[in-house]
Amino acid sequence: MSFAPELRSHSQKVCNFYKRAMRTLEAYHVARYVIRYHQVILRNELDKNKAVCDPKEHRRLLRVAENELFMSQHPIPVAKFARSVGIAGGVAYDRVQVIPDWVMDYWHPLEKAHYPEYFKRRECRKCEYIKKWNDGEIR
Amino acid sequence: MCFNSFFFLFFFMLINFFFFVYFIMNGLSVFFEWEIISFNSMSIVMSILLDWMSLLFMMFVSLISSVVIFYSKSYMNSELKLNRFIILVLMFVFSMVLLIISPNLISILLGWDGLGLISYCLVIYYQNLKSYNAGMLTALSNRIGDVMILMVICWVMNYGSWNYIFYFDFMKNDYVMFIISFMIIIAAMTKSAQIPFSSWLPAAMAAPTPVSALVHSSTLVTAGVYLLIRFNYLLIDMFFFKVLLFLSILTMFMSGISANYEFDLKKIIALSTLSQLGLMMSILSLGFLDIAFFHLLTHAMFKALLFMCAGVIIHMMNDIQDIRYMGGLSLYIPLTSLCLNISNLSLCGIPFLSGFYSKDLILEMVSFNSFNLMVFILFYLSTGLTVFYTFRLIMYVMINDFNLMMIYNLYDEDYIMLNSMFVLLFMSLLSGSFLSWFIFSYPYMIYLPFNLKLMVIYVSILGSILGFMVSNMGIYSLNKLLLSYNLSSFLCLMWFMPNLSTYGLSYIYLNFSQILFKNIDMGWSEIYSGKGIFNILKNYSVFYNIYQMNNFKIYLFSFILWFMILFIFFFI
Repeated sequence: MSFAPELRSHSQKVCNFYKRAMRTLEAYHVARYVIRYHQVILRNELDKNKAVCDPKEHRRLLRVAENELFMSQHPIPVAKFARSVGIAGGVAYDRVQVIPDWVMDYWHPLEKAHYPEYFKRRECRKCEYIKKWNDGEIR
Repeated sequence: MCFNSFFFLFFFMLINFFFFVYFIMNGLSVFFEWEIISFNSMSIVMSILLDWMSLLFMMFVSLISSVVIFYSKSYMNSELKLNRFIILVLMFVFSMVLLIISPNLISILLGWDGLGLISYCLVIYYQNLKSYNAGMLTALSNRIGDVMILMVICWVMNYGSWNYIFYFDFMKNDYVMFIISFMIIIAAMTKSAQIPFSSWLPAAMAAPTPVSALVHSSTLVTAGVYLLIRFNYLLIDMFFFKVLLFLSILTMFMSGISANYEFDLKKIIALSTLSQLGLMMSILSLGFLDIAFFHLLTHAMFKALLFMCAGVIIHMMNDIQDIRYMGGLSLYIPLTSLCLNISNLSLCGIPFLSGFYSKDLILEMVSFNSFNLMVFILFYLSTGLTVFYTFRLIMYVMINDFNLMMIYNLYDEDYIMLNSMFVLLFMSLLSGSFLSWFIFSYPYMIYLPFNLKLMVIYVSILGSILGFMVSNMGIYSLNKLLLSYNLSSFLCLMWFMPNLSTYGLSYIYLNFSQILFKNIDMGWSEIYSGKGIFNILKNYSVFYNIYQMNNFKIYLFSFILWFMILFIFFFI
């Protein structure tokens, strides 16, 4: 969790680090076989410390690895999923703004008077929705 | 609405073409003038100047905008508010036309400001945070130019009218003209994104691709060059023109290097545009305004085509713009690849495409006239860098393996987009030769040694070899050495100049204004004017409220008090 890092377990932190390291490798290398080669080497480095049991050693290794990742980060990270946010998120994130429906409740009565049928039907739909919610048909 | 706008602009283009041919054959120039208002010995007039240059530029602008609107019909198909987009594009074209035909500073200002504000509206069309930041950067950078034009209008009031073309011969060595020319050059630099105003052009790639094709490659960014072409007679002997030469050459060089370190498709093309703008500005500041205009037009054609091809590729890749995920596209989208390759080769100046005529002429003029060695080196180095990043782009996009997913099927059967690209393809192939026959009625006499003549070919071959080598990355390869974080972040972030010119310049003042705001606006001025007076009045009114609350004790006390006063007054 980004808001309370102390609540994440060590294995979660390692997995997060591993994913970011993989994305960094994808940023540096382009050809698929080159990426795979470096990813295998990275995996081997992590597997060497797989059997460590001491938590203090865990933390030290993770700190060293995070430092190395920070020093070798790519200035232009990859963006594999253009419409997503996150480490592989891209340029098309949040392009289309969906205006929520409750905004129409704040229209002035004179504005609403331009579309009387629509707002009458809207009120009916709201009542139906509340009734369905109370009856448990919608969760 | 798309088709109507397309037909209207296409017919407008044809009308401009016929008038251009008629005007240039007969050496005609038409000047209309309507006086709107006259006050204090100044008169605001609406003027229109139609000569071969303005007609030709209007023809190109209307052709590109008609093709882009036709392209948007398919590209922006999923947009709910397409009509708003088309209206914004039409308003942009109108502002551009107003700028082109104006020999009068007031109407230039209307067109200039219109360009800046409408380009802001177009950049923030996609309403995400990135677009908002990019739009703000675009608008504020262009605003500096607008302020400069406003100040020029103030200074030109010294001469009694805003028709600047009448004053060139008369006031050439006047001190006021020196100030005016300085401000005009600054305004042109902001619009054409020269150093230090170059940060907005790559950022403006947050706009939709048709906007980039029309606005950021061929019309808005060339407005600065066009303004300097119109003012060229005045500026040619100015010292600041030499400074412009220096800055534009640096812009050309810097953007050429940055494009080699960039991985976003649209940003590479934007930096390529920046490099060509630097080339146009530099050749203009050397005094060759017709060659600058020639390159402006040919560049508009193939750059718009390049952006449109990039749009097709982005659409196909699910909105991904990263070239590291592209590859092998020539097998799947052959027609788009054809257009992309021709526009790229035209950009490199490959012989007998449109870019060759203008670019080769520029380089030969630079070689033939004995300018500074640094100018010479940077011109040829930038040409080589152009070929370098072009071949790198072709390798990444066309030749290497596809990198996005394991199983895929790609196609570009969208005939609307293809048809619009073919129009520009035709122009990219032929406009160079057509324009050279029209504009240059006599050839330039250029005599160069053999190796100097072939210097362009040498740097092009070197650039292509380097581009090929850099893109062919093996497991342990040359490119890994070049990608040290410090070097690549310095080079791809445009030498940190955007950071310096935005955050670096404004931090002290913003910090100081924050201190002032907290201490004065929200501090002392609140105590002595806003909240303080309110509190005083409130406390007094609470205090006096006691007397209005029908308090019997107060009435009795006031009765006794008055009684005592009257007693003292009358009896003592």
